[in-house]
This record gives sequence, structure tokens and C-alpha cells, in this order.
Amino acid sequence: MYKKFTAIYCGNAIINALMRLFTILLILCLHASVFAFAQRINLDKKNATFTSVMKEIKKQSGYYVLYDAEALMEAPRIDVQIKNATLSQALEKCFEGLSLQYVIKDNNIIISKKKRVPIVMAQPKVQQKEISGRVTDEVGQPLEGVTVRIKGFQSGTVTDERGDYRLPVGQGNHLVFSMIGYMGHEEAISETTTTVNVVLKEDVMAMDEVVVVGYSTRRQSELSSAVSIVSGDDLRDVTSNNVQAMLQGKAPGLVVSNPSGDPTAAPAVVIRGSSSITAGSGPLYVVDGIIGGSANPSDVESVTVLKDAAATGLYGSRAANGVVIITTKSGKVGKTKVDFNGSYGVNTAVFGNVHMMNSQQLYEYQRTFWDPATFDRDRPASLLEQNTNWIDLAFRSGITQNYTLAVSSGSEKTQLYISGKYYKEQGTLHNNELQNFNLRSNISHTFNKKLKLDVKLNLTTSDSETEVSESDFYTALYAAFTNMPWDRPYNEDGTVRRGTEPDWMGNVKANFLYGWQYNFDKGRSSSISGDINLHYTIRPDLTFSTYNRARYTNAKGELYYDARTNAGNGSGRLANDFNYGYGLISSNRLNYDKVVGKHSFRALGVIEGEKNYSDVNGMVGQGLLPGLHVMNAASTAINTTGTVSESSFTKGLVQLDYNYANRYFVVGSFINESSSRFGANNRSANFYTIGASWMLSNENFMTDMAGIDQLRLRGSYGVIGNAQIANYAALGIYSFASQYAGYSASFPQRAPNDDLTWEKAKTANIGLDIGLVKRITMNVDIYDKTSDALLLNVPLPGTSGYTSLLQNVGSVQNKGLEINLRTHNLTGKLQWETNVNVAFNRSKVLALNDDKDIIAGAANINTLLRVGEDLNTFYLKRWVGVDPTNGDPLWEIVNTDENGNTGISSTNDYSIATSQIVGSSSPDFTGGIMNELRYKRFSLNAFFNFVSGNLVYNRLRGVYDSDGVYPEFNQLQLSNDESRWLQPGDVTTHPKSVLGGNKNSNQPSSRWLEDGSYIRLRNITLSYELPTTLLSRLKMAKASVFVSGDNLWTGTSYSGMDPEVQLGSGDGVSFRKYPISKKVLFGLNIQL
Amino acid sequence: MKPTYIKIYATAILFVFMLPACEKDLNPYDSKSDNVALATPEDLQTATYGVYARLITNTYSTINTAMFGLSEYQGDNIAANVPQASAFSYSVRYTHYPGMAATTNFWNDSYKLIYSANRIIERIKDGESPVLDQIKGENLFLRAMAHFNLMRFFARPYPQGEGNLGIVLKDNTKLDFPARSTVKEVYDFMISDLLKSAELMTVNKNACFASKEVAFALLSRIYLYKEDNENAIIYANKVLESSRYHLLDTDQYKTYFTFVPENNPETIFAFRNNIVNNSKGTLGGMYYNDPITQTTGFGQIGASLAYAELLDKYPEDARHSFIQRQLEPDGSQLEQNGVPVIYVLKYNFQEGETNLSSPVYLRLAEMYLNRAEANAKLGNLQQALDDVNIIRTRAGIPDAGLYTLDDLKDHTSVLEVVLEERRLELAFEGHRSFDLFRNNLPMIRAYPGFHGTNNFDHEVQPNDPRIIYFIPENETNVNPNLDQNP
Repeated sequence: MYKKFTAIYCGNAIINALMRLFTILLILCLHASVFAFAQRINLDKKNATFTSVMKEIKKQSGYYVLYDAEALMEAPRIDVQIKNATLSQALEKCFEGLSLQYVIKDNNIIISKKKRVPIVMAQPKVQQKEISGRVTDEVGQPLEGVTVRIKGFQSGTVTDERGDYRLPVGQGNHLVFSMIGYMGHEEAISETTTTVNVVLKEDVMAMDEVVVVGYSTRRQSELSSAVSIVSGDDLRDVTSNNVQAMLQGKAPGLVVSNPSGDPTAAPAVVIRGSSSITAGSGPLYVVDGIIGGSANPSDVESVTVLKDAAATGLYGSRAANGVVIITTKSGKVGKTKVDFNGSYGVNTAVFGNVHMMNSQQLYEYQRTFWDPATFDRDRPASLLEQNTNWIDLAFRSGITQNYTLAVSSGSEKTQLYISGKYYKEQGTLHNNELQNFNLRSNISHTFNKKLKLDVKLNLTTSDSETEVSESDFYTALYAAFTNMPWDRPYNEDGTVRRGTEPDWMGNVKANFLYGWQYNFDKGRSSSISGDINLHYTIRPDLTFSTYNRARYTNAKGELYYDARTNAGNGSGRLANDFNYGYGLISSNRLNYDKVVGKHSFRALGVIEGEKNYSDVNGMVGQGLLPGLHVMNAASTAINTTGTVSESSFTKGLVQLDYNYANRYFVVGSFINESSSRFGANNRSANFYTIGASWMLSNENFMTDMAGIDQLRLRGSYGVIGNAQIANYAALGIYSFASQYAGYSASFPQRAPNDDLTWEKAKTANIGLDIGLVKRITMNVDIYDKTSDALLLNVPLPGTSGYTSLLQNVGSVQNKGLEINLRTHNLTGKLQWETNVNVAFNRSKVLALNDDKDIIAGAANINTLLRVGEDLNTFYLKRWVGVDPTNGDPLWEIVNTDENGNTGISSTNDYSIATSQIVGSSSPDFTGGIMNELRYKRFSLNAFFNFVSGNLVYNRLRGVYDSDGVYPEFNQLQLSNDESRWLQPGDVTTHPKSVLGGNKNSNQPSSRWLEDGSYIRLRNITLSYELPTTLLSRLKMAKASVFVSGDNLWTGTSYSGMDPEVQLGSGDGVSFRKYPISKKVLFGLNIQL
Repeated sequence: MKPTYIKIYATAILFVFMLPACEKDLNPYDSKSDNVALATPEDLQTATYGVYARLITNTYSTINTAMFGLSEYQGDNIAANVPQASAFSYSVRYTHYPGMAATTNFWNDSYKLIYSANRIIERIKDGESPVLDQIKGENLFLRAMAHFNLMRFFARPYPQGEGNLGIVLKDNTKLDFPARSTVKEVYDFMISDLLKSAELMTVNKNACFASKEVAFALLSRIYLYKEDNENAIIYANKVLESSRYHLLDTDQYKTYFTFVPENNPETIFAFRNNIVNNSKGTLGGMYYNDPITQTTGFGQIGASLAYAELLDKYPEDARHSFIQRQLEPDGSQLEQNGVPVIYVLKYNFQEGETNLSSPVYLRLAEMYLNRAEANAKLGNLQQALDDVNIIRTRAGIPDAGLYTLDDLKDHTSVLEVVLEERRLELAFEGHRSFDLFRNNLPMIRAYPGFHGTNNFDHEVQPNDPRIIYFIPENETNVNPNLDQNP
């Protein structure tokens, strides 16, 4: 049936649908209230049971009647005659003389037994005494909201913000203190006790947290799937403005690579190995229950990473690469809280093992291969008078600042969370920075028992600057490595040189310091997203929810080359581009939840529609007078571009969930989804998942086993999809984005593929969760994820008129093991907690079309897809070494004769060397180790992440260690275990250097592959909580100061800048990258 | 819940879900589906402009490692003044390898052009209408030209054996894995296309587009390459006698390459660029860099000293306008790394823009020289010298510099005279290395420059395997039926 429904949810209809839905819901709500108050009650009953009378009232009034069954059983039969009475009048009449009382609350009539007031009244007042005291945590911080009651009685009180409580005590001899997240505590009291101060210990094994999974929340114990949870606090140790960057190493199987230190660049995320190549390999993000969206790290309450099919399945079509669910903070019932968080610090660039030559080193190196007759002419000794360190000139210590102010408050009816944030990070490269403002407002309001509204607004503005310097060909990042140490950046009089002076030696005839004075590349963007969610309780066991989000983005880019600079070409050039986009999504869900004895059922039905739109326009003008960088000032319009892009998705799903006695859990779901991106023949697809788990520790035979807190076995299987491809990818199209001689022109841009369909991943997962002696928790998962109908840009013969075609080819398997171990090593005064996660993943190509190899890759750094091989296999010529007789480079030739015997020989001719499999960029394992030490008010956190067993292609060397190919580029210093061939007989790592290059020795080959294993101290934080005595004088509830360091240490044998490369997607190539930063930050957290 | 409410909810939910279903075929805004893009004659015309537009893509002809650069860099008219191995130097030094980006791009661009032409050719039956015939003719011309340009790069010269491997002959829009045809098969195919196209084209379009005489001009060149000298003369004559073109006078000639093609009466066919292609990365940016600001280009490849000295034999020679020696403040020749810096100006200053040019593919002077070379080979020596003298006279060379059968001025044959004149006249236009090798002559670079691996003294024999490029590695990877060049 829902197939019919999905057909409706697409294109512009979504907007209509949303508006109509809202209107209807609003009207309904209003009507409901009007009916309720206007309705008059008429009753004429004789000797009727009290229950039947209440049913009649319910029917007439539309109010629910909630009651204690026992109480009503005792009620006598009554006679009642009422005409045209109000509800209250009617009820008053019915309850006359009964030992029952009622309350009208929202839409409910709540009936209970009358309290036995007389007994209380009978207690002599003198016996009433009061106990007061303060509740604190182990470091002496007051705890607010602790429930304090007398054992055996339900009434009690809660502590205030100073942790203080007062409780009248009539009888009983024990006080019970309880609070979620802390171990309960009992304190004996005597008749003379007046003060009880208590220290509550944190319940370190609070294992049964509520987890946001997909379209619902579950207790962790109810999950049948592989999920990892990262709390907001664990997330926020590293300083960044990017949630993805902060997730690195924090969840097993989640691999985050930050291949750049550029604050404006986003990291890449891969969950459980990449099984997609052309289609995106990044996970699907879900913010606050709706696909897409973004959240500022400081607003994050928790992050849930869904990994196996049972969990991701509901996101069917787009969840093949896992799902990252981000939940933002919401207001809590209680006193208003104000939190301030500020940090300030310094970033410096990390160049790893890269050391460029200085003036002397370069001079001596070039002498070895220059023609002696012309060396003194081309390289006069006077060059040695100058020794410029261009890297020092290009880079700086950047400043990072981060300030957040958040207010949260709430009454029973309304809760709100509002936060504002300012973030500014200067790149370590000059003229590169990012500045963000963020405002979030999450408001929940409960109208009545039935209707609840959430409104979430998120507003972000971003200003960024990217370095541009003196040339539209080469950036300062390029020049910093390339420029010769012999060139002077400044004239004698201190003015900046242009780089075009005749004595300038370097290949880049430009001095980036000159361009920095006038040129710039700036961007700004703003985005606003608003969520409106309504939850309507149709019946206590049936809820209808609608989640709706509209998101708008606007961006502008400005690139300006001043007429005074080289890049300005004498006339000045300005490029502007403008981007506008919106996304609309509506997700409507019906939730059924029923418990019958030990059986509990849940059912979920969802219908969802999404539409995305974006347009981009650009223009380039030239002929601008110096300093004038608006388009009006351009004398000539050179180029204009612009296009529009749209996509739509529709989805329907059902999920059924059953559990028996909290011991056996089964969940199954079925999803149908369609996307405009796929071929007409295969636009919609079905996905399904099934999961089951067995909570062994809830079995009777287990409950007596000492030390086992939790033992659970999980299993799941499902089919999910991947649609991360370009819009319109299935269409064969003629593009009109060209011209000839002033005429509009069209040309065939893409071949059609009407059969293009979803990439589908089949994932099987078996997991084990163990909790031991309240101190150890371990989650182990093994999985097999096989992606079929793999989406790949298959290279076509150029003679076909196209170079590639997006096709569904073959299948790829990822198998792996994930372990997450959390231990509380010490729990005394000194607390020590360790969290280790490690993931092993093996990928293998299982099938390809006709089992034909596919060779891909950029810049001749080829990768190979071959059945039976790793997905990320390097396919290069194998480097043999250096011929000691003449210093020639040698590569391997593999000859296969008619009988299939292979012989290996070597050659110095690059063009005839054999391309072959030389290794893989897939790591053997990845993971992270987090250690947390707490002593009194101090806490120390250290977080390491590691990657092992992958090969990295060090492309930097092909340019800066090139055996004479680039004599106008600075070169890398050799490390201690490297040597160059100088004379016959030398056995060396490097061939003879020859002016202009030695037989293509620097071309791509296994020569540049290196072990990319590393371990990095991603973050270390020391923080101190201020003592309560000081705080109360400062009128603060809580305050702490911290110092934190990011990327302070890396252990690796990799010779390039940074072994951290993009993993997955057949990458693993490292080049002249923007170096990552070491950050040292000081910060302050205050709570009022 | 009261039944009324159930009804209301049910109606509401149904109402929402019964909104009209919408069209799920989203179409891109700047493109049209294959099915509708070629529906009408107007569409076919637009798509034909698209075939022309393939001529001016960066990697086909505009940037410094595209067609005109890759052709010229293998010759002796140029010298590189930087020792580094940039993308251009694989051509300059003959250190090719199969994965070279420049040749890979050129190969792919060529077949994209051919494919777009084939899409149109397949749609038009001959004789439907003059408009459609013209469109089909232009596409046949473009297809033949693209094949010819590929042949120059990837197949050995015709005289070295018509049975040698040519390139992939593509006359259809199938997605297949074809093998290479022989040199002869490809030549026959190109010639038949061009003859057909000349027949179909009836509109005299300007020099940005193909027309009958444009096809004749290319036929003349192809016959010359094939050593079918009679036909080379016949088709040169058809162009020369058409009176559609004439040589610029000597003064105008000095600014030949700053004209837009449609205003240049000597240009037969040029790739029309506009201001979008005014960038440093163009061939003009490689050959020239503003002497004062040093910011407009690179100037890393210039005219060879050998070429400049050849011109210097006659200081009056107007062709001096196309090169520019750079001088030290004291007036001596400026050198970079020991190589004289001599800028080339055939790819700059169209419409006053420093790096804008519409590369000239065919021009009338070549027709005279094609005829001269063919006549020289056929033994019509006087006629050959007459044509050479027309070109020299136009270049402003005094009568004393003209050739007679009695005075070949240190040359040993009339063919040698013709080839030297081709070198002088057509330098930097992508002819030189082909002219040498197809005539079985070695290329000798005895002048300063970073070429070969033994700089300053470099020689390439016509039978050297590297006078042609490797078939791109990407292509042999995908298509197992392709044989690689040795």
C-alpha cells in the first residue's frame, strides 16, 4: 500500500503536502479543544456500574479516563441523571459520596482513591522533624536534582542547585538518595539526626542508556544491532568546528581521515571499510531524526554510529555506508542553566619527516649532475649568500578561538535550549581562515497529554578565506616547497620582490608574498534549517509523529587578482560565484507500542519524501583598476556560467519489533525507496533487514552468576542501498554548456544507462556484548558486508566517444572484526578508565562484469579492480632499484611465455616495464585508545588513534626527490639511510641524478610506496574543576579550566608530511598537502 | 475515541496522501536528453557547432601541451630554455611514455569529436535538403580532420609503409573495442569522407567553419602526406583557383595572427577562440611572456637559434615579425640557462588580448607550398620554384633572395628549397617534424636548448620508434584489441 503513498511524495508536491498536513493537524487540534469544552453531558443511568458511567462520559466528552482499576472495582453502582451539564458538573455529581476523587488534567480525567487524610491529620505535629543536608559528587561538586526520600515511602524531595535539600521526616529510619548516572545511596537516620550530607558515586557502569537509533529510541539492552555511541563530552576533547573531525578514533569501525590542516576543508569518513568506489563512501548523516542537516559540535548531545543492516536498514536506500545519527541538546526541566565555554589557542603546522634542502645543500647537490663547464655560469657561488626558508615565510602560528554560550531551561510544559557560538580558526598558512557563527534554538512544548511540538532552528554563517598568492597557477602551498632557497623574498630596501626579476632562479616566477598584498579568495555562506515536529498520541499505544525540515543555504565566492600582481595579468580579474540551495523533507511516522504480559510489540510505519534543489551562477570579469573588486568596476565580462540541479527521494517503510521478557528480541523491517537519480527502469528498490538478540544475562540460569552484569548475543542481516551519485547520472545527455564562434553548441556529454540502479550492500553481523564485575564492558562484532551492483565509473575506450560510464558492476566484500573495550581500571580516589577500540577489515573484489579487470586511478597512479584482490590495490610498475654499474633506474618486466611460465627481468626503459599488483592502501587495522585519569579535581584525558598496515603513495617524492628532473625546484634532503649513485659500483637507493631527469625514474612506480602505519596522540587534555567554596563566592554552580593539545605527537616511519591519507575509495595517495596542525588550547567552562 | 474523530483523522490522512502524483523524471537544466537533442535540423546545427566546439577544448588545441604544441615541440624550430621535465618536455625530449596525460587527453578529445560528428552523420540521409547536406558535409570534414590529426601523432608516416598500423577508424557510434586499422585504410577513409563532404557542402562559410574549399585544402595536404603528388596539386589548385582566398600583402602579413579568422582572407580554416581562452596556460603563454611585466606567460619554449639565424639571412624577411629576440640591457642576446630567449608570436594578441589566438589550421600559403613540394617531387622544378618565390616575395624578400633553377643558393635540390621554405613560412604551426619524417629526413638540433638527453646536439632519425607517440595506456588497458606502438 505504501508504494502508492510513495508515488505521491515527490517533487513540488512535497511542499504542498507539508503545508496541507500542517494545516490539517492544526485544525484538528483546535477542533478537539473546542469540542471538549463545548460538549455538554447528558446522562440517565440507574444502578449502573461506575465504570460504564465513566465510559459514557468519555464517549461524550472526548476525554480519556485514566484510573486505578482496583479503585473502580470497589466503587458501588450508582444512579445518575444529568441534563446538559458541563463536564465538571457531571463529574461532581457522579463522585458525590464516593471514596474516589478525580482531577481533570489536559484531556484526561484521572481517577484515584481519596487519600486517607485523617491518618495524616492524626499524627501529632511535634513528631514531625526535618532533616537537611547537601549532596555532592566525589570531587565535591554539588549535585542538583538528586531524589531524596525515606525508605519505604514514595514522597520525597529533590536537591536544589547547591545540592541542598530539606525533608520533613515522620517515620522510617533510612534516607534513600538516587539520581540517574549515580549509584544509589542509603543513610541510616536516628531520632536525633538533623543533618545528612552525602557523597554520591558516579555509576560508571550505567549500561542501559537510551540510544537514538533510526526512527526511534531504544534502551541499549533492547538493541539487536551493531551501534557505537559517542557522548557529546567524549566528542568535544579535540578542538574543531567539525563533528566528523572530532569522531576520529572514537568508535570502532569508523575511520575518519583529515587529509588536510586547512580549517575550511572537511574530513572524509568511512564506516567499516569502503565498499563503494564511484558512489560516495561516506555515511548518511541524520540530525535530530531527519536525514541530512548539520549540527555544531558544541550542541551535540550524543552521536550514534549505526553499522549493521539491522540498524541502518531503515535508512535503506542511502545507508550502505553506515549512518551517523547526531542528536542535539534539549532543555531539561528544572532551573535555568547558563553555560559558557571558551577556549583560545595556537596552531602550528606539522611537516612530519619532510625537510627541504637549504641553500648550501641544494648547491652541492646540483653540482653533482650539472655540466661542470656551465655550472659556475648557471649557478654562481654568490647564490650561497642567500638562504631563504620559504616554508617559514608561507606558514605562521594560527590562532583558534571558540566561544559558546548556552542557556537551557524548562518547565513541565515547555523546555528550551538556546546556544550561540563563535568559532574562528586561522590556518597555519597565511591568508587562510575560517570564521563561524552559529545559533541554535531547540524548543519543545507539550500542549496536552496528546500533542507535543518540537521546534528546532539552526542558523550558521561562515566566512572563509583561502590563500591565493601571486599566480593563478601556483599557490603559496606549492611555492613554499618549490621555491629555491637562493631567491630573495625582499629587495635591499625591504620592499617585496615580485619574483619576475631576471635573477629569480625558481621555476615559479612569482613571490607569493607580493600577491598576498592585493589578491584574495574569500567565501561566505549562510544556512538556516528549521525543524517542526509534532507528536500526537492517538491512543496511549499509538502515536503519530511528523518530522519536517526545511533547509536553505546561500553562498558567495570571490576570487580577485589585482592588476598590480602577476596573476592579474596587468588588467585585474574578478570571479564571483553564487550558490543557492534548499532541501525539504517530511517524514511521517505511526508508532504502535503495546505490552501484553511479558510480550512487548512495537510497530512503526514511515512515509517520507525529500526534495533537494541547488543553483549556481558564476561570472568572471576583467579590466579592474587596482583595488576595485566589484563586478561593476570590470571593463569586460569574460565568462558567465550557471546551472540548476535537483533530486528527489521517496520512501515507505514498516518495522516490527518484538521482545519477550526482555530476553529475546526480534526486529524486522521492509523499505521501499525510489530516487530520481537512477535509470527509468530501476528507479525504486526494496530493502529489508532482520535482527535478533538474546539477553542471556536476563535468563534465570544466568542471574545468579556472579560478576556478569550483561551478556547478550546479537545477530542481524539486511540489504541496504547506496545512492550517492551525481544527479541525473542515468541520463544520456547532450550538454549545452559550450559555444563555438558565438553560437550555442551542444555535445554528447554522457552515455545513457537506463538500467542504472542502487548499489546494494548485504550485511550480516554477529555481535556479543559483555559486562563484567561492573568494571568491564566489551562489544565484539564480526561482519560480512557484500556490496552488489557496485556503482562504478567504468572506463570506456576513448574511441567510444566517452571515457567512462556509470554502471553497476560486480561485487565487493568487506569482512571484519570490531572490538570495543571499556575498562575501569581504578575506581578509588584515583580513577582510571580506558576505552580501546580496534577494527580489522578485509576487502575483496568478488565479481566484475565478465570478470574483466578494471584499471583506474589518477595521474598514472593506477589502481586495479580484479576478482580476488583487495579493493584498494595499487597497480604500478615495480621498482627494482638502481643499476650499480651506471646509476640507471630499474623496473621489473614480467614475461609470460606460451606455456604460461613467467620470467622476471629488469629494464631501464620505463615505458616497457610491466604494470603489476604492488600492494594495497587498505589498512590491516585502525582504531583508538582513550585513557581518562581523575584525581580529586583534576582529570587527564589522552586519546590516541592508529592505523596499521596500509601503503601510502608518497607523490611528493616524484617531484621533490626527482633525480634531476626539476632543477628549478627545491628538493628534499635525503634521510640517513638513503644515498645517491655517483660512480660505478655505488650501491644506492637513488639513481644517478641527470639534468632534466634520468630515464623517467621519478614516474609512478612502487618506488614511492611506503608503509603508512602510524599512531598519533590526537588529543591530550588536562582539566581542573574549581572548588565549591570558591564557586559559591563567585556565584557559580560549576567551573573548570583546561589545557588541551591536538596532534602533539605522531609515531611513524613514513617519510612524507603526514601518513594520514584518505582511506578508502581507492585512494591512499599523499601529495603536497596542507599540513595538519598542532594545536595547544586553553579553555574555561563556567556554569551559572 | 469517538467515531467522528476517527473519521476526521482518516480523512485527513487520506487527503494528504492523495495529493496528485508528480512526474519523477527530473531533467537537468543545461542539458537535453539524447532522445530530443537531435530532433530537428536546428538541433543538428546546434550539435554541429558542438562538434566545432570540441576543436577548442583546452586539451585538444588550446593549452601548451595540446595539438599545436605537441606537433611543434618535436621539431627543430623550437628550443626549451628550462632544464626541467614538465609535461611539454616529454615531447621536446622524445621521452614519451604511454601514460602521458597530454596524448591521453588528445586521443580522448579526438574521439569525442568523431563520436559527436558520427551522431549527426548517422541522422542525415544525403539529399534531404541543402541545409542538412551542408551540416552533414561539415561533420564529414571534421571527422576526417580529427582522424588525420590522430594519424600524425600515433601512426607512422604513410611513406614508411601503408600496411603499418594506423589508428582506430571510427565511422559509427557503437560502443565496441575495435582494433587499429592500417595506415592505408585510414587514409582511404579520410579521403573518401573529404570528397563526399566537398560534394555536400554548398555554402561558403567563413574560415571558422568548413566549406567546400576547406575540404579541398585538407585533401591537398593529405595527398601530399600520402605522396599522391598529382592529387595534391589538383586539390591545391582547386583552392588557389577558387578565388575565395588571397595572400595578405607584406605589411598586413606581419600582423597575420592577430586577425580573427573571419576577417583574414588568407585563412582557410582556423579554430575560433574567444576571450574565455585567454589564459597563461595557452600555447601563447608558453611561447611568449610580456617582456616588461614578465607576468603574462612562461616563455619557456621559444624559437630556436637555428630558426632565427635562418630568418636572419634576409633581414627584410617579414616573418621576423613572428619571433621576438629578447635582449639584455646592453643589447646582447638575453639567455636563460645558456639558451637564447626568442619569443614566438603566432599565438598571441588576437583582438589585443595577450594570450588569445585562434590557431590557424589551413591557410593559403600552405597550398602554394603543397603544390611546390608535389611539383618538386614530380620533377616540375620551375613550377615548384615559382610557388616558393611567390611566398618569398610576399614575405618581403628582395629579388636577390629568390630562387632560379640556376641559383638554388647552397641547396642541393629543389625539394630541399621547398622544405626550407615550408619551415620558414609554416614554423610553429605544427608542420615541421611531420614534414621531415614523412620525407624520410632526420631532425637535427644543433643549437642550444634542453632537448633530447644530450642537450645542444640532438638528432632523431625518421625510423626512430619515438617519432610517434604511444597509444595512451588508459586505452590499451580498456581495449585489449589495440596494439601498442613499439
